[in-house]
Amino acid sequence: MSARRNLLATLLAALAAAVPAWAEDTAPRKPVNDIPQMHEEALAAGIDHSYTGPWEFFVGGGGASLDCNGDRRPDVFLAGGKGASGLYVNESAAGGDLRFAEKSLDLDAKDLANVLGAYALDIDNDGHRDLVLLRLGENIVLRGGPGCSFTKANRQLSLEGGRAWTTAFAATWEAGLKYPTLAFGNYVDRAAPGSPWGTCEDNVLARPQPGDRPDYSQPSALTPGYCALSMLFTDWNRSGTPSLRVTNDRQYYRGGEEQLWKVEPENPPRLYGKADGWQHLTIWGMGIAEGDIDGDGTPEYALTSMGDTKLQKLDDESDENRPVYTDVAWDKGATAHRPYTGGDLKPSTGWHSEFADFNNDGLLDLFIAKGNVEQMPDFAANDPDNLLIGQWDGSFAEGGDVAGIALPTKGRGAIVEDFNMDGMLDLLVVNRGQKASLFRNCGAVAGDLARPMGNFVGIELRQKDVNRDAVGALIYVKSGTQTYVRSVQVGGGHAAGHAGFVHVGVGTAERAEIRVKWPDGEWSAPYRVFANNFVIIGRDAPGAKYWYPAE
Amino acid sequence: MKARCCSRASLAALIAAILASPVLAVASPWSEKVIHEHVDQSTINGTLSLEALEALRSKGEILFTGRFTEADGVGRPFATQAIIPTKRKRAPESPFFRTAGMDSNACSGCHNQPVVGGAGDFVTNVFVSEGFESADFDSLDPQFSNERGSNHLFGAGLIELLAREMTAELRAIRSQAAAEARRTGEPVTASLAAKGVDFGTIVAAPDGVIDLGGVEGVDADLVIRPFSQKGVMTSLRQFTDNALNHHHGMQASERFGERWTGTRDHDGDGHEDEISVGDISALVAWQATLPPPTVLRPTDPAWQAAAANGSATFEAIGCAECHRSSLPLASLEFVDPGPSDMAGTLRTAEVADPAVYDLSLYAWARALPRNEKGDVLVPLFGDLKRHVIADEQVAALGNELLAQRFVERNVFMTSELWGVGSTDPYGHRNDLPTLDGVIRAHGGEGRKARDGYIALSDAERDGLIAFLRTLVIDPAAVAR
Repeated sequence: MSARRNLLATLLAALAAAVPAWAEDTAPRKPVNDIPQMHEEALAAGIDHSYTGPWEFFVGGGGASLDCNGDRRPDVFLAGGKGASGLYVNESAAGGDLRFAEKSLDLDAKDLANVLGAYALDIDNDGHRDLVLLRLGENIVLRGGPGCSFTKANRQLSLEGGRAWTTAFAATWEAGLKYPTLAFGNYVDRAAPGSPWGTCEDNVLARPQPGDRPDYSQPSALTPGYCALSMLFTDWNRSGTPSLRVTNDRQYYRGGEEQLWKVEPENPPRLYGKADGWQHLTIWGMGIAEGDIDGDGTPEYALTSMGDTKLQKLDDESDENRPVYTDVAWDKGATAHRPYTGGDLKPSTGWHSEFADFNNDGLLDLFIAKGNVEQMPDFAANDPDNLLIGQWDGSFAEGGDVAGIALPTKGRGAIVEDFNMDGMLDLLVVNRGQKASLFRNCGAVAGDLARPMGNFVGIELRQKDVNRDAVGALIYVKSGTQTYVRSVQVGGGHAAGHAGFVHVGVGTAERAEIRVKWPDGEWSAPYRVFANNFVIIGRDAPGAKYWYPAE
Repeated sequence: MKARCCSRASLAALIAAILASPVLAVASPWSEKVIHEHVDQSTINGTLSLEALEALRSKGEILFTGRFTEADGVGRPFATQAIIPTKRKRAPESPFFRTAGMDSNACSGCHNQPVVGGAGDFVTNVFVSEGFESADFDSLDPQFSNERGSNHLFGAGLIELLAREMTAELRAIRSQAAAEARRTGEPVTASLAAKGVDFGTIVAAPDGVIDLGGVEGVDADLVIRPFSQKGVMTSLRQFTDNALNHHHGMQASERFGERWTGTRDHDGDGHEDEISVGDISALVAWQATLPPPTVLRPTDPAWQAAAANGSATFEAIGCAECHRSSLPLASLEFVDPGPSDMAGTLRTAEVADPAVYDLSLYAWARALPRNEKGDVLVPLFGDLKRHVIADEQVAALGNELLAQRFVERNVFMTSELWGVGSTDPYGHRNDLPTLDGVIRAHGGEGRKARDGYIALSDAERDGLIAFLRTLVIDPAAVAR
């Protein structure tokens, strides 16, 4: 009897060990590394801004960071939707509280309304970054000048801003061209019969015409358009020629899918198709993030959607001409498919996505802005933003609640920047119908206090004359056996992006060696730099220069 | 009165806590472990009394002299010797290896000449390699490493304090130059000098960019890193973290723990959290409070006379331009963790109340001379600056194969000469048996003084050696 009982107990124990717990029973994995303490201080910092408006502004809600006054601190332009957009000049002291002062722009007020998003880049190579405003109606380019001055430059650029509902943008300098190629992603054509269903507007590719000034008078249509909500020029195969990745909203397209355009110089764009290995994928595509999370030399992509986020990695069947991707989001714990706190079990709605190293441990983290479209009953109403902390096994673990970003807001676009130049990435989230959130990264959560995190390097690239900010460059930062790769890009996220220092967390490394693959494919010499510094690397410069923020 | 009682109670509790978490307490006599209980960092706060500091030191001494075993966590089969936590793909054939390590059982295995905490002779040389490239190969081939002698640690706390103050001075100069350039809108050139040691110049541009092309003898971040022959280690704390891993496979949590590696057993030897933050603090406390070497007063009148002449010659031929007889130190308070360390070594802001080891609690510190400003004159015979020490004709000290941490192979930090009479052989490879030999090996920036030495008469050279031989680590003087 006793023997039988023992046998039974053994069998039960064996069964218990053999049968895994259901996934739903498993407690969410917690990060084992630092979780940044993100302190919300938008109003105290002087940013009192909301993104508002009717149905057309359920999407969008972005902005751009750029240094518009030459002090290298990132200033911020925020889209206002139906309301006014705003420019906020960064007055934060190094390592201190965040401080911004709103600056009125000497522009026609109607040009600053109906703005859904913005990106910054120096189109005319004059050393001042310009702003591209994505609008409901005419898209506008604001030419940057000294002291955060901006003037409308559409006519100067021969850029016909169109009348579409523009929700995405990306730019690149194609080989041999002096000025950038601009891609505009459009949403629903509201005037088309049957709108909004199946009436996605074509996207636009505006290549500069030959000449000594930027001339965008001959744009071409990227057909078909499938209601793009984010686009990004990305060198997915490290060929040196970026392709245009577009994520599309299945809510309105018919027969659409995710898109990848092959954009070769002097050739019309061509869609990668099934014959190229491109796999049919339909999602409510909202945002694109690029990051080489596994250090294999090619980028992965986080695509936000309603429900689960996709995390795409090149498949074994891929090659340099075959963009075959596999989704590893589930394996990596990065689906972020429903709220992780607050008790709402309905699916999430993801918008801006961005890889960045918030805790400076050398591992990329993934931020996802979340928020119900408006009042969609089948999706979570209380849908906190995610801060998925990269783990050493290549997976992600949620740290948003501990970090303090799990607010009951409807996130849309976001700007990840080191606003107070302390080496730790801060976060600005544009919320629909609510005030923007501005989180200062105070350091790692340690009880009630914050402690310093890993080391970092801030990198600014400089070129002369053309493409001064080296858009399209790849930055390789090597410390120990690790190489961290960053791309200098304009586009992606959700209607929002940043320009300026490229942030790289390097963990416990005190030094790093930086090599740059410039946009034309030429490699730089290696530059040796000390961590916890901001450095400036000029094309062909003998050494990296160090920059120090005002104290 | 109440506060005073609380203060006393706190002090008593602190001492009791340190004593109650002994490294060797409750150990059976036959135990093969060194660490039976880790030192609790939470007990090490604020300015320690002499009793509390001595209690902590005693823990540090046990850790410094203990021959660690597998029972303690010795072994790093799946980690290299690298300072940045670096995994190894497969375990080495032999866990102990003279090049990539592990290469010793105890700190005192090498640091023992003339007493524990001292230097070591040639047989204690270590092989310095970053431990990143071809980790499986560099463990077998010394061409991928630099061979270095073991330095002594006496006066190391004073050295680190000097470095901290010099770093603060240099950085203040940088800040002032940048601020002035911003204010005036004009470039500002500033001389980098700390404690009278010239580190070149910087040029601050109005936009905050600093031209570091004129910086000499210090890293671009202007941190004086006073430890190792190369001058590339910031603090005793950092060096201790490094060395425990390299030499013993004992990994400190503050560098190799879960926070920075995702695992509590980064080296894969089956032991988690081998060295605690408190253990490192105890080791730092022990090293930082080692008294400095002394100057021997020979009883032999001939030696006295020769040394006196040699001291004058030392100055006359320019040795003292780098081997400065002393540098002034404003504060004897050794704060641990220190201000210059970076992630992976415990930093000041990572603890609520950093420990302060007041070196003036010790008679040897109080006996150090002071200048008219009241600064302690630390008799290090060094300048905490790096120099080119080899040239085309005199290249012996440029014999390394690898640059280290951005410092070229022919560049080394000025060796502090205090204790030099007790720590032969010489040179960064410990391969020069005599002082005469190492002086003759000086090239580069040391060439002029070296040539001056060779030009001296035999008697003058002999006097110089006689002087240097008075700079000793006196076992009686450093005993407590």
